[in-house]
Amino acid sequence: MKPRFVTSLIALFCLSFCSSNQVLAKEKKKSDPAVTVEPKLTVLSPLGIPPAIKLLAMAPRPNTLNGKTIYIVDDGFVGGDVLLKEMAAWFTRSMPSVNVVYRRKAGGFPDEDPALWAEIKAKGDAVIMGVGH
Amino acid sequence: MEQNAAKKGMPNLRFTFVKSPVWGKTAEQLRKDVVEGTDPITGKPVMQEIVAELTTPLQDEDKNSRTIQQSAGPDHFGPDTAENLQKLFQEKGMTDYLPIVLPTEEKVDLMLKATSHKPDEIVGKISPTPGVYEYWSYTVKQVAVNAVMAGADPQYFPVILAIAAAGKESLSSSDNSFAEAVVINGPIRDEIGLNYGIGALGPFSHANATIGRAYTLLSINAGNCGKVGETYMGVIGNPANYTNIVIAENEKESPWKSFSVRKGFKPEDSVVSIFEGWGVISAKNSVYAVWQKDMNFAQELKNIFNDQDQLFGGVAVLSPAVANYVKEEGYDTVEKLTDWLYKSPDDSKPHFRSPAQINILVTGSSNNLYWDYGGMRYVKSVSVDKWR
Repeated sequence: MKPRFVTSLIALFCLSFCSSNQVLAKEKKKSDPAVTVEPKLTVLSPLGIPPAIKLLAMAPRPNTLNGKTIYIVDDGFVGGDVLLKEMAAWFTRSMPSVNVVYRRKAGGFPDEDPALWAEIKAKGDAVIMGVGH
Repeated sequence: MEQNAAKKGMPNLRFTFVKSPVWGKTAEQLRKDVVEGTDPITGKPVMQEIVAELTTPLQDEDKNSRTIQQSAGPDHFGPDTAENLQKLFQEKGMTDYLPIVLPTEEKVDLMLKATSHKPDEIVGKISPTPGVYEYWSYTVKQVAVNAVMAGADPQYFPVILAIAAAGKESLSSSDNSFAEAVVINGPIRDEIGLNYGIGALGPFSHANATIGRAYTLLSINAGNCGKVGETYMGVIGNPANYTNIVIAENEKESPWKSFSVRKGFKPEDSVVSIFEGWGVISAKNSVYAVWQKDMNFAQELKNIFNDQDQLFGGVAVLSPAVANYVKEEGYDTVEKLTDWLYKSPDDSKPHFRSPAQINILVTGSSNNLYWDYGGMRYVKSVSVDKWR
């Protein structure tokens, strides 16, 4: 019996000590504005300046591909040639009236190929461009 | 893709997405999985979708050629509590997901006092991948905001401005997960306490750490880099992107002319030089690096470089002890060393395209014979003094 009494007493003491501490803390909070009011800051944006965008008018679309010439352009990523040649083969099988021309673009993937662009403008009706890998 | 096309002026450019990756597959696999498969975004059959995109008439807005002004948003945030602002910066993708120093006007003004340049001067421009993504430009003040966020001291600011002036992204959009390195030479190293001794490439100096971090934050914020799924596609990611690889050369203990002097600057010039590539690792990772009584470091370098990919060439980061060892092996200049490393032992084609693809740097302490190597190429050097 005796040890159980001692344990209960200690527990009661702790409860009473803790609750009186909480009351004290609450009172301190009420009386000290620095504890309750967190300062507000204004900070500057780290973002840079994006450029203006000049919209490009897109080329008119043909209403049918029958009898048209479609360029399929590979930008050089590994495996792109295999995929795009399979796409060309699909047109031959499924839409034989379409004339398909496969071309590998000159240079690296972000480089322009003015000669190819001129050829497509002169001879092509539409372009499928493979991008990525 | 769609966002990039919009930024290039064609917001309604027509796309068909295909199941990736494409490389490493046979023609038969690609025919079945891709050509005869469906667009993973729309669920429509790939080829039928392409045919429809080629033949569906344009809308009026597709024929437009006006100019649209873009804005990055407000020039300030708040007033709000520090906790909320930290959260806001993180939610807006303007951090590296570590706590930042909040860039108040007062802190930014202090940073700006460390340069003679005007706050509204344009420092440079960055694209997540030049030629693919648009360039964003940035002012001295915007660089200062990012420097504050990184925790940099104002005295580091000319170095950060020089890095910014290089106009090279620290976070490439490439799915390769590239890393950047910043080599720092000249008196500025001692002026601001850059570490080039023990643990030179590690987190043991306020200057190294915050200058490197500022480079990443600048790329994210001022250069629009690192937006996952939009301007960042690195498959694995790269831990070096947090603070980049900052290499202050140990010029005092190096047996050779410093890197910047070899690039035409004077020894009294303070200079940053940018490298890009895969990053660096310890040479002990290579089977060619062996501990033996009689070392031949030059041969070790050659063996390791000849096993590397050729895209970026090779960079070696030697401890001064190793560098002096190599000098004793007969290479009293770096040029002599790189020429020998480049040449094949017989008349066969050299492994790299030119000796310029091989770069040698010296940093760290001399308490043992370790060195790092990696596939990284030199991009450009910028004077720090110009930005004081």
